[in-house]
Amino acid sequence: MIRLQRVTKRYGDTIAVNELSLEVNQGEVCILIGPSGCGKTTTLRMINRLIEVTSGHIFVNGQETSQIKPEKLRQSIGYAIQSVGLFPHLTVAANIAVVPELLHWEKDRITRRIEELLALVNLNPREYAGKYPSQLSGGEAQRIGVARALAANPPILLMDEPFGAVDPLTRQKLQSQFISIQQKLKKTIILVTHDLNEAIRLADRIAIMESGKLVQYDTPQVILSRPANKFVHDFVGTDRALKRLSSISIEGFVKPAPSVMIDASNREIASVIGYRRYAWVVDKNGKLLGWLDRTNLNEATSVRETMVQGDIEEIAIPNNATLHEALARMLGQGFKSIPVVDEKGKFIGEVTLSDVEAATAEMES
Amino acid sequence: MVTRDSVATAGSAIGLVSLLFGWLTLKPNRLAAGTSLNLWETTGWGGTAIIFSLWLICFVLSLRGKERRPAAALSITANLIIIIILILAGLIASQLRQEETSLIRISLGSGIWLSLAGAYMVIFAARQRLPNWPVWRNLASWTGLAGIGVLLITGWLNDLSILQEFAGRQERFVQELGQHIILFSGSVTAGALLGIPLGIWAVRSKRVASPVFFITSITQTMPSLALFGLLIAPLSALSFAFPVLREFGIRGVGATPAIIAIIIYSLLPIVRNTFVSLTQIDPAVTDAGLGMGMSRFQLFRRVQVPLAAPLVLEGVRTASVQAVGNTAVAALIGAGGLGWFIFQGLGQAAADLIILGAIPIITLALVVDTLMRNIVRLSTPKGLAGGNQ
Repeated sequence: MIRLQRVTKRYGDTIAVNELSLEVNQGEVCILIGPSGCGKTTTLRMINRLIEVTSGHIFVNGQETSQIKPEKLRQSIGYAIQSVGLFPHLTVAANIAVVPELLHWEKDRITRRIEELLALVNLNPREYAGKYPSQLSGGEAQRIGVARALAANPPILLMDEPFGAVDPLTRQKLQSQFISIQQKLKKTIILVTHDLNEAIRLADRIAIMESGKLVQYDTPQVILSRPANKFVHDFVGTDRALKRLSSISIEGFVKPAPSVMIDASNREIASVIGYRRYAWVVDKNGKLLGWLDRTNLNEATSVRETMVQGDIEEIAIPNNATLHEALARMLGQGFKSIPVVDEKGKFIGEVTLSDVEAATAEMES
Repeated sequence: MVTRDSVATAGSAIGLVSLLFGWLTLKPNRLAAGTSLNLWETTGWGGTAIIFSLWLICFVLSLRGKERRPAAALSITANLIIIIILILAGLIASQLRQEETSLIRISLGSGIWLSLAGAYMVIFAARQRLPNWPVWRNLASWTGLAGIGVLLITGWLNDLSILQEFAGRQERFVQELGQHIILFSGSVTAGALLGIPLGIWAVRSKRVASPVFFITSITQTMPSLALFGLLIAPLSALSFAFPVLREFGIRGVGATPAIIAIIIYSLLPIVRNTFVSLTQIDPAVTDAGLGMGMSRFQLFRRVQVPLAAPLVLEGVRTASVQAVGNTAVAALIGAGGLGWFIFQGLGQAAADLIILGAIPIITLALVVDTLMRNIVRLSTPKGLAGGNQ
């Protein structure tokens, strides 16, 4: 979809981007990351020709960009930046309409598109269409910026720190929204960031750059487990094992675990629990209620009385969480295993500390 | 007392003190020295009591803090003072002229001028406190002026010497007023046509920016009279070298040097505001526009022009108000305009003639200012007009 071939950008004697080659497949999120001044933004801006290459070739959809009129090229590529750059004299609706208008869309189609996009970024069209940028919060402005970039439904999006200018909480929310939008739209995205956690969370592939050169281009998993050189190793940091866990879903690690019904008899319990130390307790619908500890069993008369209820919300983890979150709960609660539930709170199984350790060890090798 | 409105209080104090000064001046003929009459000598004790009590009300109201109601009452009282003073002046002038020979001249004394100045101080101060009452605000601003207009049109003030000066020069007055308007508006228009592109050029090229600002700033510091004088020599040399030019009215004296000088004066505010208006646009906005596929021209027309327009027009406003004043001086080099009456009056030591020139110039400046302010307001995009409306 996007191919950079030995692209170089020189400013006088300084080389901003040096012989960079990179290929991004259709529907993939490629994240350019590196310390400031590494040439990541320059690389991004060369793709839509806001900066012209000194040498090398860039292909979009198999067509060399230097052969396309810059305006035409840019109208076919969505563009969102950190400072958003909404036009302050235009309403939200008019801001989103800019590219469709440049493409001479019909009025009705533009109006429909505006409503569609506002709904997509979770803003009420009736409330927001008529607002001016000065009336928006930082997070709202960022979302309008993304909606504006998507306006003409371009297959490609270029984003320069699109979540950079907001507070951490809002950034988290915007990232989740980004993930769900991308699952729906499957755009080809090149995104620049300096936040490694953001990159790990959002990227299909990460391109790490150092002083104009591409040092490693791979999936987050590989970058974290097999850094190409000392620079990448240092860049991802000593906690890379932890970071790596945050890119792995627990789904592959959930194991069936013994569970007993709340109204089970002592004999039933004994047979279920066997030589284990504990068993999870569920109601008749399979909803997790608490757990039993073997040491308390003998004197017990019923499950209800011996059951440890604890704070199930705090302990149980949804099955779409990451290993990083699972580990965090285990450490927080002092457990060697934690129960996994589906979105309705139904007990599915458990994840154990040894599984997490095994996963880490496997990645290291 | 923090809440007291010191401007309104000062205005009222001036009004009260003004009653002690000469109210009307009586001259046996146009140029002879006059005798000054006091307020009570002209209006009698009744009139004196009315004006005195109105000023006293103003004074007390001005001490009443900055609330809206006293402010509204204050502005109405001050407007009343203006109208009543002029009605009485017109009335007394007619009476005096019927009693005496028609040669005598009655002009407004320093007391009346002080009272009018005090009244306008009070009105401006009171107006500031009525921002959310547009009706009262407009009443405050225009009642007095409308009253003066009515008195002028109905001929109530015709026996005052200023109007007698006017009566003798009605045609000339209309002609010079027209000339004044043509001179200043033509020059400012030319200044804008020259200054706006120059400002845009300065934004595009740093090499152009510094000489442009150097030259426009230097000329701004020159007194207008000096600039007019400086232009006489080269222009007359030019017209002697190429006599054809004279047929187009290009000579060392007259309208040409005036127009050139006023254009030069207009340049600084217009060039500077154009430059600032374009450079203050958030670079992210420009980047986003280009990044979305706008051409340079589309970006200019759809983004930069609407965002820059209010500030550019603000520069034109400054230039216009300034040009109205500078055009007055231009009469000295034969360009005509309302300044002609001022210099005629100075030459003849006829104070009324000076005033006949000065007051319309001030009024013209105020009208142009109000007009341009409204144009600036209308050109300001809604999204910029101030946060959450």
